Amino acid sequence: MKISDLILTANHNLFRNKTRTFLTILAIFIGSFTIILSNAINTGVNDFIDKQVESIGGDGYIEVAPKAVYEQLEALTSAKVQEYSEDAKTVENSTFDDETIKKLSAIDGVDSLNPYSLVTVDYITTNKTDKNYKVTLTILPDDSLKIDMVAGKQVSNNTSDYEIMITEDYVEPLGFESAESAVGQELQIAVPNTLKCMMTSDRKTCQTVVTAKISGVAATGVMSIGAGTRANTALYNYLVDLQYDGLPESQKMAYMATGHIDPVKEDAIRKAFEDEGFTIMTIDDEVGMIRTFFDVILIVFNIFGAIALLAAAIGIINTLFMSVQERTREIGLEKAMGMSNTKIFLSFSCEAILLGFWGSVIGILISMAIGYGANALAHQTFLSDFPTFQLVVFNPVNMTVITGIIMLIAFIAGTAPAYRASKQNPINSLRYE
Amino acid sequence: MNTIIEAKNLTKVYGKRSTAFTALKDIDLCIGQGESVAIVGKSGSGKSTLMHLLALLDKPTKGQIFIDGVNSTKLGAHALNRIRNRKFGFVFQQFFMNVNDSVLDNVILPLKIAKVGRFKRKKLALDALKTVDLDEKAKNKAKDLSGGQKQRVCIARAIVNNPEIIFADEPTGNLDSATGDKITDLLFKLNKEKGVTLIIVTHDEDLAKLCSRIVRISDGKIISDQAVSKDQRKESSKRWEKEAARVKKANEGKAN
Repeated sequence: MKISDLILTANHNLFRNKTRTFLTILAIFIGSFTIILSNAINTGVNDFIDKQVESIGGDGYIEVAPKAVYEQLEALTSAKVQEYSEDAKTVENSTFDDETIKKLSAIDGVDSLNPYSLVTVDYITTNKTDKNYKVTLTILPDDSLKIDMVAGKQVSNNTSDYEIMITEDYVEPLGFESAESAVGQELQIAVPNTLKCMMTSDRKTCQTVVTAKISGVAATGVMSIGAGTRANTALYNYLVDLQYDGLPESQKMAYMATGHIDPVKEDAIRKAFEDEGFTIMTIDDEVGMIRTFFDVILIVFNIFGAIALLAAAIGIINTLFMSVQERTREIGLEKAMGMSNTKIFLSFSCEAILLGFWGSVIGILISMAIGYGANALAHQTFLSDFPTFQLVVFNPVNMTVITGIIMLIAFIAGTAPAYRASKQNPINSLRYE
Repeated sequence: MNTIIEAKNLTKVYGKRSTAFTALKDIDLCIGQGESVAIVGKSGSGKSTLMHLLALLDKPTKGQIFIDGVNSTKLGAHALNRIRNRKFGFVFQQFFMNVNDSVLDNVILPLKIAKVGRFKRKKLALDALKTVDLDEKAKNKAKDLSGGQKQRVCIARAIVNNPEIIFADEPTGNLDSATGDKITDLLFKLNKEKGVTLIIVTHDEDLAKLCSRIVRISDGKIISDQAVSKDQRKESSKRWEKEAARVKKANEGKAN
């Protein structure tokens, strides 16, 4: 018998007893469905995290802040009384002065380090709305960072024009109909001058309103170091000047910095920065926890799926043993007609593999139907702020590997019945009542 | 006449030591091409065992079987399968059909095993069905056929690979005499027109007398091996015709 005939005949034989075959496939489906859907969710989450990571510049991107800032935060939450020491680093003496920058940049593996001062913006608004909105404005320090954009382009540092990008959740409040219609429009930013505002109670007299062009709308991110409301260097520096005008230079000192490092040397660099009184934060620090959480969920669901598949494998053994018994005379006849033991073995193995195959295919189809349905539903409800986040992503390689593994399990389960069929004596089989 | 099957000192023992049972003892038999041989005996005489050995479905404990001069006892499983697939056709008392499959699929089975291509095997199977006058039923399910039609499908299945020998085990055993007659006619027609060697196992004396030779078996030994004279064959075939006519009449009477 040719292999193609063997497969077609096996498939035909399977559906002779429809109920039994259906139930066996159902058992396999429960396992394959669990594994496929949990893998798809994991792929979806990881895809999203990868996109976010990419939007911050991938591996090697770091944010640097004085250790003292974290220590102060820790002191707020812990009841431990600490002894004062004059040598201890404080927020004030942990700034990025030229000397510190030079020292930190010299550390092996540090590619770049760009300090920036913090700007506190009072509000942003447009001429399309009467309301003013609070915002945390940051700088896009590096053009190489690729932000996940919904419309328009990310801000460019290669221009002296004032450019700003907003996140999607600001589109509607600022009076725009859609993200696309916001691109190219003007935005007003109110920035206070620290010195003037200390001397007056009328906030308006110490504010300066700066107009900038909206270059694009970024997708909402889940991480603090992700996409956000960001200004280009020209705008940001102008805002810094406005805010700190009149204050001594030391007040202008930067507390934050971004940069790039060689990810391989991360541990050594982290230690070197710690010694200098700075804490670095990489993307892994931020997303590692999320990834681990979803990986654990994936493992748990895969174990459930594996247990279901084990039970299904026993179902396959049972189904095929019944089939061998029922078709004893048929096997005898085929052997009398010159079918070899190997081919008899293969024909039953084929049935087992096909059971696995159909179980997986149905698992994939139903997971896809439910997955895409859930995607659409999620985007209308709780994920409406994250248009680029696909809850489930079906990776063809994963699907193929899972199908292959399930077919292998089915084949192994089918070996015992197939072996029994192949060893049957044709004469006894023909006499079988 | 060329020898097509030759058995030398065939012995078959079932079981071991204390439970050993000798089904066949030192059988010598030579069958020529184009012969029609009836193997006759009571149940338990060893006639079925002999057929199984001759058809290479089982291995003798002792002795050799030569098919077209080739010693089959020295052949491997693959070669034996090939001989059965290419040279032999089988007709069984209980039909052994896949009743849920179509008539055509049942007839195609030996060709599928022989790896014949899709279109060629369909054509050959339809030709075989035409020979047994059932080509119109090709698409029907086998379970919808009558007993006689089923056995005719089995004959079509036995001849579809153009075999040299047809082994028939009680081919009319499950049929009434009128339909049995039609089956017998078909088998002997193939024997006469195509020169197919017939080996029929039966306990029906009338059927046996239609053959050119009767081999009688009792207790695992050949007790007689006689050619059937032409007169005897004619008479037997007349009796068959009479019987058939009687049954036909009776059936018509019932129908009216």
